[in-house]
Amino acid sequence: MFTGGKSFVSLPPAFSNDAKRLLVCTGNTVSIFSTSTGLQTCELEGHEAQVTSVIVVPATNPTSKVLCYCWTSSLDGKIRYWDFAAPELMKTIDIRFRIHSMVIPSLLHPRNDSTGKLPDLYAYISTEDVKQEGKPSSFGIQKCNLTKSRIVGGVTLAETRKPGHVTISPSGKYIGTCEKRKLRIWEIPAKDSEHVGYKKVRLHHTRSITTMAFHPTERVVAAGDVTGRILLWRGVGRETFSNSKSSNGRMNTDGEDRPGVRDTDDADSCTTWHWHSSEVNVLFFSSDGAYLYSGGKEGVLVVWQLDTGKKKFLPRIGSPLLYFINSPDPTLSSISCADNQIQLLRMPSMEILRSISGIKLPSSHMDMYEGFGSVVVFNPTAGLIAVPAENYRVQFYSLFDDREISQVQICERNHQPGDEITVKVNLVALSRDGSTMCTVETRLPEEGIGSLVTLKFWVCGSQKKQVSLSTVIYEPHRDAEISCIAFRPTGNMAVSSSHGGDFKVWVHRHELTPKDETVQRSGWKCHAVGSYKKKPMSTAAFSSDGSVLAVAADKVITLWDPDRNTLLAVIGDSLEPITNLTFIGKSEYLVSASASRGSKSSNPQLTVWSMSKLCVAWSYRLDIEAITCSMDDSTFAVLARSKPNGSADESSQHAEDMILLFNAEKAVPLSVWFVSKAQGGGLSFVSSDEDKVSGTKATDEVLAYINGAREYVLLNPHSEQDISRQRGFTNLDDTDTHGYASVYGELPEFSLKADQTAFPSMPSGKTWKGIFSGPSHALPPLPKLCSDFLESLLERRSGVVE
Amino acid sequence: MAEAFPVKPKLRPTSSKLTPTPEAKYWRSFKIPKDIETTPSKSFTFPINSIAFSPVAPHDFVATHSASVSIFSGKTLEPKPTISSFSDTAAAVSFRCDGKLLAAGDLTGTVHVFDANSRSHLRRLKGHAAAVRSVSYPRAADKLHLFSGGDDSVVKYWDVTTEKCVFNLLGHKDYVRCGDASPISDEMFVSGSYDHRVRVWDVRVSNVSSVMELNHEKPVESVLYLPSGGLIATAGGNFVKIWDVIGGGKLLYSMESHIKTVTALCMGKVARGSGEEAEENRILSVALDGYMKVFDYAKLKITHSLRFPEPLLSVGFSPDCSTRVIGTSKGNLYIGRRKAKVESEEVVGGMQWKIVEDDPGRKVLRPSYFKYFQRGQNLKPSEGDYLIKRRKKVKMAEFDKLLKKFRHREALVAALNRRNPESVVAVMEELVARKKLMKCVSNLDTEELALLLAFLQKYSTMPRYAGLLTRLANKVVELRAEDIKSSDQLRSYIRNLKRDVEEEIRIQQSLLEIQGIISPMLRIAARS
Repeated sequence: MFTGGKSFVSLPPAFSNDAKRLLVCTGNTVSIFSTSTGLQTCELEGHEAQVTSVIVVPATNPTSKVLCYCWTSSLDGKIRYWDFAAPELMKTIDIRFRIHSMVIPSLLHPRNDSTGKLPDLYAYISTEDVKQEGKPSSFGIQKCNLTKSRIVGGVTLAETRKPGHVTISPSGKYIGTCEKRKLRIWEIPAKDSEHVGYKKVRLHHTRSITTMAFHPTERVVAAGDVTGRILLWRGVGRETFSNSKSSNGRMNTDGEDRPGVRDTDDADSCTTWHWHSSEVNVLFFSSDGAYLYSGGKEGVLVVWQLDTGKKKFLPRIGSPLLYFINSPDPTLSSISCADNQIQLLRMPSMEILRSISGIKLPSSHMDMYEGFGSVVVFNPTAGLIAVPAENYRVQFYSLFDDREISQVQICERNHQPGDEITVKVNLVALSRDGSTMCTVETRLPEEGIGSLVTLKFWVCGSQKKQVSLSTVIYEPHRDAEISCIAFRPTGNMAVSSSHGGDFKVWVHRHELTPKDETVQRSGWKCHAVGSYKKKPMSTAAFSSDGSVLAVAADKVITLWDPDRNTLLAVIGDSLEPITNLTFIGKSEYLVSASASRGSKSSNPQLTVWSMSKLCVAWSYRLDIEAITCSMDDSTFAVLARSKPNGSADESSQHAEDMILLFNAEKAVPLSVWFVSKAQGGGLSFVSSDEDKVSGTKATDEVLAYINGAREYVLLNPHSEQDISRQRGFTNLDDTDTHGYASVYGELPEFSLKADQTAFPSMPSGKTWKGIFSGPSHALPPLPKLCSDFLESLLERRSGVVE
Repeated sequence: MAEAFPVKPKLRPTSSKLTPTPEAKYWRSFKIPKDIETTPSKSFTFPINSIAFSPVAPHDFVATHSASVSIFSGKTLEPKPTISSFSDTAAAVSFRCDGKLLAAGDLTGTVHVFDANSRSHLRRLKGHAAAVRSVSYPRAADKLHLFSGGDDSVVKYWDVTTEKCVFNLLGHKDYVRCGDASPISDEMFVSGSYDHRVRVWDVRVSNVSSVMELNHEKPVESVLYLPSGGLIATAGGNFVKIWDVIGGGKLLYSMESHIKTVTALCMGKVARGSGEEAEENRILSVALDGYMKVFDYAKLKITHSLRFPEPLLSVGFSPDCSTRVIGTSKGNLYIGRRKAKVESEEVVGGMQWKIVEDDPGRKVLRPSYFKYFQRGQNLKPSEGDYLIKRRKKVKMAEFDKLLKKFRHREALVAALNRRNPESVVAVMEELVARKKLMKCVSNLDTEELALLLAFLQKYSTMPRYAGLLTRLANKVVELRAEDIKSSDQLRSYIRNLKRDVEEEIRIQQSLLEIQGIISPMLRIAARS
């Protein structure tokens, strides 16, 4: 199964030791991106549930900088050890608890082993013990011996009611976690063993704490709370932690010279900084400990000078910040933003070098306006989807490559993250050949004045790289909202239907100016207006040859001749307003879905109409979210939501919704898939190239399903065989710039062509001659080569047999 | 990374007007000079039949109207004293090739020859039995002869010194109304007549009949030799035809873009840059429909057209491309002059003196001098230079800056003070998008409220803004009723607003009535 569209920002990423790679937790896998190109280079696959942390084994000496090992933990209860250069799984530890967070302190401080034997490696994990049904699962922080692959019995640092994120100090001496209004900090002894005592400190605050950070050298702890305050405790645990080291036994127990510290907390002082207006998400000390980075919902990275409290800003990042991570390379760091984007920063100057962006996540605000189609739009021929984002942009995302192609600014407004949404891109439609895009944006009124609906037509260039505005139409249906836009498959015509009771047919015209033939003006003009009994028009569709336009007027379907704008026929009388309408390929059938939005409909229906007889062919009682039809034959697929009262048994929670594949002539579904989170999802047949997806040869269409959380899966509609995938990862480009080039840039004439010929890192059908060709430093890792080599030999022999 | 976008007004539908081509720009650059705009002497009461430019600098020009010929200075465009020694209306005028003499025909049939400078009457050429409507001197070098054509359908070739007619050229069967001399040969000329024929004459070969006869198919109003001497343009009816004379009188093109009769033709030039090579020839044609059209006979395309409010009778274009004169049937003279590039170029008595501006022994700039620090600032990049573009600065209006700082009320006031309704509405729309407009309105003090009310009164009934502004006006009155009641000034604004709204309601009602009348008719029409 081919999945994609994962969130890059669910967890903090990790840099490799040479800062050339960035390891990002993406669902069940860890994706590795090159920091110099921003492209994905490989993927660590193996976990069966969401990966919850990734820890790169730090380099202890300069020679080990090239080593690429990492530990990952996952909700499936396994801890794995990887060589991510290869990429290869080295070790798996099964601890049978769901792991929410993991830290390995002993990796951070170099161990001097006098015995020559490496001491055991211990990890501290935040676990969840799933008990019987009905009982709340218990959470705790436990210790795990990674060398011996087992949990250290009896050591439970804390029991909590919610899964906590464990934070570790850069020196590896302390770990901490924040829970509600307090911080818990433990000191990890320098010589860690299975039986060792822990000293702990609690710090209290009056608000819920959202994040915390440790100073790299001093005993300073920073914490951010939900109101936007940053608390800075200095001299944390002077009493508790320094007691063992009795050399500096300065006892300072007088309460009065500990400003800001709550009654019994063990700290010297507590300072409060308040700049953020809402929740602080990011807190991070710079590696020298002189600065504190903070960020939150405003999308502004604030740099505090620790001694003076002076601030510097990196404004207009455009989205709430989630994590800030710096790399072993002091000039590089990364910010994870809530819009599924990781920005790589050049450090002292804080300028954004490049960004790694995943699919735009649906914004929480968009759910507020029901009936607004915030659904993604498919471009079936190119395998692209257009995703409307919160910041008035539309993102083009490639389904097969699983990466962003481009973004288009639909409406020129300044976006402040966290503002109330008053302007939004409602609808996006793409013509079948992908050459034209149509968008609708709506400005919501303030106390009944100033609402505006704008319809825009865009011309897309090749590869969706450049999109230019062609026509702007203000208030196309007076102040009524547009419910649907459909393009004629044969081109140069579009229809927009509105809830206000009319639809308009738009045509694309080239205008030659009379005087000078060289200048050409093209634009979209209204060709015709139609309405049927003033009923609200909810959706519209063109037949595949473009000769018939079907517009759903409340509960009936009206059929029109789009060129002459005459009403041909009126069919049907469903029980609920029609929400979805599609002509099925080149067949004579039309499929419609009806349901009443808003309130849960009692009579949802899926109906197939025969166009030759103008009557119902067959129908089902199904609540349909999306319909798509194949372009060539008469199959179509629907995304059906099961009824809310049907989910009585909780075990079937994940199989609530389903995708059904039908042939229009028969009412028996051809195949069924069970999916989850269908609300706000989309479905489409997408034509695939054989070189990209090696599916069956029978068809070149695959079914793409995207769920409400913008994760997608490609299904093979015609056979059980899964779509296996060979993803075109780019090789990690090692042409780093040093010396002259890093100062003065590339020499213009000097091209590294030989290096840029992408060396295939996946199994290829090349013979052994081809495998070893090329310069030796550009060869793939040896294990990879070996399997390729052997494989090629096998192929040759089979050829001989035939 | 979010960018900062300035607030923009809504787009307006663009008219089909395009950005002017360089050619159109050139022809539009002929403007009435400011200093003579007001002089009343540019308009005469009688139709201006003919205009001629002197072939030598400073290219004085003459215009015939009524029984007089007015001479204008080519330098200042000021009228010199007129010649009015005609007994009847002067109809045609022509300069000799050196510009010293001037010949004019009148409706009595006499051709008069004057000194162009002293205006003294030198010769009278009598012989035509009817009005002379066409006079032309040879254009190359011959200073002794001239041609004339009259309403007696005869073309005469005159020896000017002896006042004798050398040849009577017969062949036309109707009035000869136009003629032109060849630009390359002194012996060749062409005449056009109301018998639809254009005849080419050569005084060397024959004195009996014409060398060539062309059928224009309409009474010929004007003929023109094109500079090569091989092409002829003829005008008559509402079209202009181009003929190839060397190629045996072949019709090359017929330009039919005038609506009414084309009355005159002349040569125009488009100066592109400087130098002779950069000049391209055009045919200027004027017609009774009030249009002047510029025709590029190389590409066979109309490159520009210009409309005048009156029927046009005659056109002239100075050989140095600086002046264009058009005469109308109502006696107005439209003089267009292009700004000369080199002002210092002066012509005195036929000799050219160039005042050289930059003297070679220029002082080397020293840091003690102020200009030293400004050197090179206006330097233009040469072709091969590598340009490093400075990042374009986003221009922010004052209200944009205030909006960026979230100072909403001040932004609204700043926009209102700019008195540009589009930008005010754009700011209001932006405030709506931020849900701050109502707050702004309730925070305005009395003076600012007066500003807003004045704006609303002026624009709230304007269709383009009405959707937003009428509702806003309603809200403003609701929100600030107390303040309005307490101030006389504000009450007067409200009175005006009320009056405007009432008028608008009346208009709407009458429109509704009209719609009520029309819609049944439309329905009937749709049914049939």
